[in-house]
Amino acid sequence: MSETSYSVLGIFDTPDALMQAIPQVRAAQLGTVEAYTPYPIHGIDEALGLRRSPLGGMVLVMGILGAITALGAQYWISAIDYPIVTGGKAPSSWEAFIPIMFEVTVLFATFTAGLGMLFLLNKLPFFGHPVLSSKSITGITRDRYALALEADNEAFDSAAAARVLKEAGAVEVEVLPAPDRSPFLTSDYILRTLGGIFAACVVSGLAMFFATKWFPLLAPMKYMQDQPRLNPQKASAFFKDGHGMQQPVAGTVARGHLPTATGTQEAAAVLVNPLPRTKDVFNLGRKAYMIRCEVCHGAIGNGVGSLTAAYGGKPANLQAQQFRDYPDGKIYWVIVNGKNAMPAHAADLTETQRWAVVHYVRALQRAQNAKDEDLKVVAP
Amino acid sequence: MNQTHTKSTLLWGATALGALGVLGSYFAAGPERFWANWVLWFVLMFTLGLGSLFIVALEHLVAAKWSVPVRRIPERLATLLLPAIPVGLIALCALPVLYPGSRPEAAHHPILAGKAFWLSVPFFSVRTLIAFGLSVLGLAVLVGGSLKQDTTKDPAFNFRARKFAPAFMAIFALVITLVAFDWLSGLTPEWYSDIFGVYVFAGAFLSGLAATTLSVLYLQDRDRLEGVRGDHLYNLGGFLFAFTVFWSYIGFAQYMLMWYANMPDEVLYYKVRLTGSWRAITIALASLHFILPFFALVTRDAKKDPKRLRLVAILMLGAHVLDVYWLIFPALGAKPYFSWPELSFALFFIGGIVLWVRGAMQKGEDMPVGDPFLPEGLEFRL
Repeated sequence: MSETSYSVLGIFDTPDALMQAIPQVRAAQLGTVEAYTPYPIHGIDEALGLRRSPLGGMVLVMGILGAITALGAQYWISAIDYPIVTGGKAPSSWEAFIPIMFEVTVLFATFTAGLGMLFLLNKLPFFGHPVLSSKSITGITRDRYALALEADNEAFDSAAAARVLKEAGAVEVEVLPAPDRSPFLTSDYILRTLGGIFAACVVSGLAMFFATKWFPLLAPMKYMQDQPRLNPQKASAFFKDGHGMQQPVAGTVARGHLPTATGTQEAAAVLVNPLPRTKDVFNLGRKAYMIRCEVCHGAIGNGVGSLTAAYGGKPANLQAQQFRDYPDGKIYWVIVNGKNAMPAHAADLTETQRWAVVHYVRALQRAQNAKDEDLKVVAP
Repeated sequence: MNQTHTKSTLLWGATALGALGVLGSYFAAGPERFWANWVLWFVLMFTLGLGSLFIVALEHLVAAKWSVPVRRIPERLATLLLPAIPVGLIALCALPVLYPGSRPEAAHHPILAGKAFWLSVPFFSVRTLIAFGLSVLGLAVLVGGSLKQDTTKDPAFNFRARKFAPAFMAIFALVITLVAFDWLSGLTPEWYSDIFGVYVFAGAFLSGLAATTLSVLYLQDRDRLEGVRGDHLYNLGGFLFAFTVFWSYIGFAQYMLMWYANMPDEVLYYKVRLTGSWRAITIALASLHFILPFFALVTRDAKKDPKRLRLVAILMLGAHVLDVYWLIFPALGAKPYFSWPELSFALFFIGGIVLWVRGAMQKGEDMPVGDPFLPEGLEFRL
């Protein structure tokens, strides 16, 4: 089977001869006319009738897309999904979005320009263009100017093409075979590529390992090890009191926390129970009370718990008038700080549990001193 | 011939009418507004000349060949520096009226007192005179030498200019910074911005480019500048395109940093310009100075299309006027002034500039015929 030829090269000695030949060769309409020259020749684009590259339009569209992508992503992140006020600016401040929009525009545009040119328009990878293995290639890269008639369909007549090029003034004509257009992603190619990447990783990894071992001063990226910082439970010269960890500012409550009873019991009297009187809260208070309080104060809060009999201690009778008159804050204060023989329970109960216990104690007091109208509430 | 005559009469008439309005506005609108207008047009004239001279120096600095055929145009535009100097000397009278640093109250102002010497009228005037002297030096060496070369055909000028160009760049940087800091940001001496000189430079260079493009097209319409083709226009258009982006980059960078830091002395400048009627003007400025020309010039063909380029060049010049107006007039108060005094000033100064440039365009050769690189420049292709 005779090999189908891909293109016919006509070699010219001067760029002027090449330019003059172009209209003649194009008029023959035998195939695509392409020129190969050692340097760019002015006006050859127009002479060859090359269409305007669509790259500019692609870059513009992708650039605008990049700007919109960056704007949308930032707007969604900063203003909708997780709005945080930074530096006193509204979360949707467009000014802050502009630098990122600029960068992403440039990113999209340059990637489109580079990759679009190489892969979409130049149709790379294309190993072994036939012109590169022609006899004339040494001349074309030096001081010869080639005009090629390339096959654009099966019926390409290389003899006629050679004749046209000769008539147009080519000093030499070369017929080139069809290029190897077999798929390049063969298993062999993929394996070799992966093997190459693996080898490169091994070599660079080993090199880095030994480089840092033998030249420890060159240890990369260790700058952040040497930053000034405060360590927990350690002294620091940064603050006046010499402590690394600081007390919270007096009178402040950390975010997500409830007011704590830190002063005297009398000062705590003003604290208001922040929990609602719901069934869940009472259940929580009851559970905590039964675990932490019942052994001493008793199941109904009358100061007769199981430990009283065993050790003879005298816990407070919560049903006494004195404690029934206590405001919530004072009971809370006792839970946090303890009183007389009662130890502090701050470490055992969370803030929510403590306030729930306060509610529960109130419920116990009312249950032991129920009035007639209390019955009506429970009736249904 | 007759038509040119009519046009000429019209121009002179418009300028004279503007002059009447200018005189009238001093008495009718008050000295503050009069001097603000005067400074506006002084800065516009001076930066147009300086920007054009920068184009000339840039060509010598990088030894560009493509721009040799059109170099005479910015050279002629650069002679605007000469009429700008008397205008600037008269503008010195504006110091006690407009510039807070030159008023007697400044001595008691905690910030201005510290800058008293720098802002004082004598030192301000000396700096302005130095700026004038340096720009005339640049004009004499670069433009004067080039005009002389027309007859002598001595290539030694090219070497001299190439050696002088780097020095001129330093001079240019100093002069444009002095103009920007003294005449423009001196109106609000509590406010300062390091990038402000660069911002004014971007506007000056753009106005020089736009005027050059417009003049090249004007001469081409009259079949002068033979050999200047779309390829040359393309480069001018490319410069215009690039520097609209540069201008907005600098302008936005300055704004964003101040907006972020939110320092009281810095944001006040933008607070005035982003509230009330000035807000609309700021948005118009961003659209006319950046968005519109950017999209008008973004395609390859647009950069060498004479019709498109002419429109964009006129737009750029207008936007530059608006830009300097936007820099100066907020100092007068929250209400933007725009009425017959501003129009008379525009009529007078635009008429004067056009008359001067038209006169310059009629004199001598249209191209630097003595430059040995002229044939190479005419051969230029993209």
